[in-house]
Amino acid sequence: MILTIAAWALFPTRAGTQNTIRLGTDPSHVANFPKDKIIRVHAGAYLPGLMPDNVGTPLQGMNKVAAQFEKLYPDMRIEFVGVPAGMREWLVTQLSSGEAPDIVAVNVEDVWQDVQKHWFVPLNRFLNAPNPFAEKNQPGSEKWWDMFKYPIPTRGTCAPDGNFYCVTLDMIETGIFYNKSIFRQLGLNQPKDWTEFLNIQKRVQQAGYTPMLVDKGAFTDWGVDLTFYQVYSDISDLLDLRYDPTSGDYLKGYLDWDEIAFLKTKGFFSARDPRWVQTWRILKEWRQYMQKTLGNSDEMLKAFLTRRGAMLWSSSMLVNRLSRDRDIDFDWGIFYPPPIPRSFNKFCGGREQCVIGGSGMQYEVTSSALRDTDPNLPFEQRMQQSQRLKRVVAFLQLLATPRNADTVVNEMVQFLPNIKGADFNPRLAAFDGFLQRHYSMTKWIYTFGNQFNETFLRMFDLYLNDGMTEAEYLDWMQRNLDSACEKIVTRKNVDLTPLAKEWDKRALLRKQIKDLPPEAY
Amino acid sequence: MATGLIDESVVADTGWNPVLRPSITLSPRTKPSLRQHARAALGLYLIIAPTFILLAIFNVVPFIWAFSRSFYEFEIGESARFVGVQNYADYFHDITFAQSFGNMLFLTLFSMMVVMVIPLTVAKLIFSLSSVRASYIYRILFLIPIVVPGVAVQLIWQGLIYSDVGLINELLRGISRLLHMSPDSLTRGWLSDPRTVLWAIAFIGFPFCNGINILIYYAGLTSIPESVHEAAILDGATGIKKFILVDVPLLMSQVKLLVMLTIIGGVQAFEGILILTRGGPGFKSMVPGLWMYFNAFSFQKFGYACAIGVVLFAVIMILTLINLKYFRSAEDLTATGK
Repeated sequence: MILTIAAWALFPTRAGTQNTIRLGTDPSHVANFPKDKIIRVHAGAYLPGLMPDNVGTPLQGMNKVAAQFEKLYPDMRIEFVGVPAGMREWLVTQLSSGEAPDIVAVNVEDVWQDVQKHWFVPLNRFLNAPNPFAEKNQPGSEKWWDMFKYPIPTRGTCAPDGNFYCVTLDMIETGIFYNKSIFRQLGLNQPKDWTEFLNIQKRVQQAGYTPMLVDKGAFTDWGVDLTFYQVYSDISDLLDLRYDPTSGDYLKGYLDWDEIAFLKTKGFFSARDPRWVQTWRILKEWRQYMQKTLGNSDEMLKAFLTRRGAMLWSSSMLVNRLSRDRDIDFDWGIFYPPPIPRSFNKFCGGREQCVIGGSGMQYEVTSSALRDTDPNLPFEQRMQQSQRLKRVVAFLQLLATPRNADTVVNEMVQFLPNIKGADFNPRLAAFDGFLQRHYSMTKWIYTFGNQFNETFLRMFDLYLNDGMTEAEYLDWMQRNLDSACEKIVTRKNVDLTPLAKEWDKRALLRKQIKDLPPEAY
Repeated sequence: MATGLIDESVVADTGWNPVLRPSITLSPRTKPSLRQHARAALGLYLIIAPTFILLAIFNVVPFIWAFSRSFYEFEIGESARFVGVQNYADYFHDITFAQSFGNMLFLTLFSMMVVMVIPLTVAKLIFSLSSVRASYIYRILFLIPIVVPGVAVQLIWQGLIYSDVGLINELLRGISRLLHMSPDSLTRGWLSDPRTVLWAIAFIGFPFCNGINILIYYAGLTSIPESVHEAAILDGATGIKKFILVDVPLLMSQVKLLVMLTIIGGVQAFEGILILTRGGPGFKSMVPGLWMYFNAFSFQKFGYACAIGVVLFAVIMILTLINLKYFRSAEDLTATGK
């Protein structure tokens, strides 16, 4: 009897079945279709059926684009697949077994690590060619590149080997969300510079609130890049030794791994580099205004929503939650971290802070797209021969049209469409302004491999939490960077000779700059 | 005391104690031929064959594979390169080696001490209850929490106990207010502070009344014959004295089992630390198993990760052998008459 009751309770009702939200594609949609006629897409944040922040309705935008595609190519089917937690581990196993989706959404920096394995397809030739779905005489009708609204961060996805491995559908940027009610109560306004910013945090702390809430990983990623930019941007003309014609002026001043590896031999990014030392001191000083546990983003959000914290450093994705959550009973605003003036630190010129966010959903094409070619052929030849690759890219080209970008991206309030002609949600207007800035000078957390990142994150965390002295931390960082540079130079066969020649040409410039590491003169 | 009628190895293997049971005289048999032996054994081998095959496929083969791979520099997607014992040499000089083994030792010793004291005490308290119904209810109550998955327990401790606004910090804030101190003068990030992180991890699960461990000790206590208790009382051993001098030695089989399981669990376990701290801050809560995981799935250094796995296997093997050899069970004690 108990079993009968249990079976009855577990049996789904007709209404319940109809209301079930399916993540990804219904298997019957692709049933009986040959494998090479199914394009499998990991849509990332736009996976049909997802309901971001548990507000609104399940996403359906991607399904609409897929329907258009299947109408254009009736012999093909699009299958959207979800991925388990631990994306990196999953992707590595899928790619190595040749079973990865044809299109995946991962941070392109993760792709860079594996480009020599030919797991991903460079998209340069497609980006330089017209997008067949672009309207006549409209952006994209000559070059797909012209369709992208934010060229600087889009070009920022250029891999160190000069190739572009992703299509950036949208933009994401960070911002400091602040509780306007607390600010009003304490008579505070948005800070104009770093000194004012720290003073505000001091006042907030004295009033019994946690001034700044930030996730540990985000602080290491964003905080370090912003501070590095502030401290080093005055000498970027000296440091940027390689002009990359692919990324061109968009990434002027950006330091790739080969440049970092070379500059390290000249004493940069070591305890002998005064700017390097100051970078960490600025961040350490800021730490005192943050929560005790630099934990995960859920904890931070909870503290912000319950008014324990006055400011939360997060991304544009948070706007979706804040603007749709009916239980939030305070006003909130957004500002960008302010510049560090020279009066605060002699190496900082008070320049406007750079972009550290940029590309949101970055869609890469994997080698699975080439499954219609002989795997024993050279990779280049496979790319040239593959007809299936053209179809896979066609899906991305269709997705990147203004109407479809609008349909997909603006279904929620998290990202800004990166396609000209597709407007962003007005609630994200502040982030549009942030994205017009100069791009970051480098991405410390993504430039090298995961082992460098892991050690960096851990040691920085320890340093911030008084677990080691500044000297110990700098020593750790130097060893970590030495190891990462050695590995990258060896594995990628990086030739540093052209950089050495360029460095020699800049001898005069170096003489004019004070406080460089002794080896640099 | 051996009777001389029973194979001593059978006694040792089964734990059957001839002291406490009537003697049995085995009837003499004719010696079976080799063929009869093989025929009789064949059936038994067939019965265990499925288990053995599955065990071989999923446990033995992966171990042999991992052992062979530990001599290669091996990254998924790239060809493997033979490096001899370089992975082992590198691991012994690894930045995490000393720290992670120290942490593992600390956490394992802590767990061992806990498992030897607290569940045993609780089991004895329940066993001593005069009411059978109360004893039953308490056993059930202590068992109920085992339905909570380990991951959920870790998250509960992380979010509700150790967080900035968790139970401990809120209590400390209350104390600070009572003492007219600044509210946050006593609080800390328990899992992010390098001085407290290891203790914070060790104390997860406090008060350590694991239902299964309690039941194992309880079963051991029930197997002690009433006559032994009566003899002890006649000899003047009561209360704690009887518990320490009579009960504990007769529970050594259970202690041995739990210690062995705790050691194996302590050396292998890393998922809790992965959830709570990822081995941080720095490497302050890193353990070898977690470093193996990072090397395999994050850094893609599979050969190196295999070498760490083999080292862990060796550690577990050595500790288990030591435990088997030097940690004497109740049967060993009885057999030697001590």
